[in-house]
Amino acid sequence: MTNLSLFAGPPPNAGAERFADHTRRLGHRPAGNRTLIDTLDRSGLVGRGGASFPVGIKWRSVHSRSRGGAVVIANGAEGEPLSRKDQTLMTLRPHLVIDGALLAADAVSASRVLLYVGEAHAAAVAAMSRALAERSTVDTSRATLLTAPPSYVAGEETAAVHFVNTGVATPTATPPRPFERGVDGRPTLVQNVETLAHAALIARFGDEWFHSLGLNHATGTILLTVSGAVAKPGVIEVASGSTVDEVLVMAGGVRGKARAVLLGGYFGGWISAQQAGTMVLDPKGLRAAGGSLGCGVVSVLDEVADPLDVSARIMQHLANESAAQCGPCFFGLRSLAAATTRLARRQPEHGDLPQLHRWAAMVRGRGACRHPDGAVAFLQSALTLFEPEFAAAAGARGRRAS
Amino acid sequence: MNNSILWYTTRGAGAVSLILFSAVVVLGVLSSLRFETTSWPRFLTTGLHRNLSLMALVFLALHIVTAVVDPFTHLGWLAAVVPFSSYYRTFWLGLGVIAVELLIAIAVTSLVRGVIGHAAWRAIHLLAYASWPIAVVHSFGTGTDTLSAWMLVIDVVCILAVAGAVVARLLARPPDPLAADRARFRERVSRNLPR
Repeated sequence: MTNLSLFAGPPPNAGAERFADHTRRLGHRPAGNRTLIDTLDRSGLVGRGGASFPVGIKWRSVHSRSRGGAVVIANGAEGEPLSRKDQTLMTLRPHLVIDGALLAADAVSASRVLLYVGEAHAAAVAAMSRALAERSTVDTSRATLLTAPPSYVAGEETAAVHFVNTGVATPTATPPRPFERGVDGRPTLVQNVETLAHAALIARFGDEWFHSLGLNHATGTILLTVSGAVAKPGVIEVASGSTVDEVLVMAGGVRGKARAVLLGGYFGGWISAQQAGTMVLDPKGLRAAGGSLGCGVVSVLDEVADPLDVSARIMQHLANESAAQCGPCFFGLRSLAAATTRLARRQPEHGDLPQLHRWAAMVRGRGACRHPDGAVAFLQSALTLFEPEFAAAAGARGRRAS
Repeated sequence: MNNSILWYTTRGAGAVSLILFSAVVVLGVLSSLRFETTSWPRFLTTGLHRNLSLMALVFLALHIVTAVVDPFTHLGWLAAVVPFSSYYRTFWLGLGVIAVELLIAIAVTSLVRGVIGHAAWRAIHLLAYASWPIAVVHSFGTGTDTLSAWMLVIDVVCILAVAGAVVARLLARPPDPLAADRARFRERVSRNLPR
């Protein structure tokens, strides 16, 4: 049950599916038009890059501004260190991604398609490049492969647009958002590669088929990267609406005893193992409930690992990935990471713990992009779930803060 | 109405304009230096810069209008708009007209900064460094009070203040504390793209 839809077809060890096999298995790419956007609306497909934004609404807003000159960016930058699902998808099913990008271009009447693939993901770059070469000149005349620098923010949509425009992958201030003014000032659809691959299948088999794949009223399937204390870490495809427990069974079960699950990656949050177990993985439902599946990362922390140490390392990484454009993000995340690290080493300075709470509230919402917000959301989930550990660490030298 | 009231108003408003615009220039330089102390936050510099500049424009308008309507000089409106078109002190008045028109460009672009973008706004705003000295020369050339002691004191104080601020700006390190880190990050994520 781990290759339902995107990974249906040849097994992973067969490598990238060739264009001839892809066409034999799934037929030719159908037409991309307004009807497809309506179908996507009904399918309930939401973006899989992290924000879970409804796909139909996004395509329609680009289409209404397009006048034939829009641009589509297939976003496969995948800068999230815990995620592997985009690179795996591009490595195994490159033609599904390219189909989705071309369908999107047809549907929003775009003249240009950019396949934006993380340069660190060598296998994905090679597979996408070979797949593009297998396509007709009609396709290749409007689609270009572009490698994204290996940084966390390079996949943020304004950063992707900025990179195409200037060669510098840093986020820019919004508005205008890319759908208003993006590549060369044109309306630009920036869509995650997994989302596009789903769209390529929905265009062929319809929204009812997509609904039938999901469980518990969720629609479609999701790609997850399972890591940490599980027997078989890696990328799996599961039915939307599966619970975390079911996912962990598919990943070979938990090694040892689970303490917590990091859901959604570095921008996600910690959830206690008990609470996570019965949690239903439904991108649309989680978004409606104010949560997020993020980019589909499920990472298990066992009871042996030190949650403070793991959290401090993640904060350090996020602080280092600040583009140094906004003071609150650059200085704020650096201070937050330093204080978290001191607590993790059990060598806190006086007041570190209350400072973490205070600074976290001050940083949120004060960047040009959402980088500081994501980092703070992660930290706050750690402060909540590992409250006893943090409190003990704060009093480690007999100087209990606050 | 006594005509000399208009003449006194022209002279007084001119002197006040000089003081106010000198303060505005100094505040502008200070804001680009990101000057701040615990009792003088940065928004005070920018807020004063903006408000004083509007106040200065009012005095400048008074200076111009009273000069034009003064029947003794009967300059005419054309002389207030077209540089070097005045029969009366052609060169010195022309300098004043140029300074005012540069100022109008600076004020208008500041009001529509959101529309024209930061780079264009900044390029125009740098014209302040031309407008202010031209206005000072204008005051030396045509002022009735130029040689009176109180006017000389105002001139000296204004010139020293602006010159001091500009020198401080030229000597200061780049004021952006993130510049080096941003450059480093940009280096990491920059690529030469085939277009």
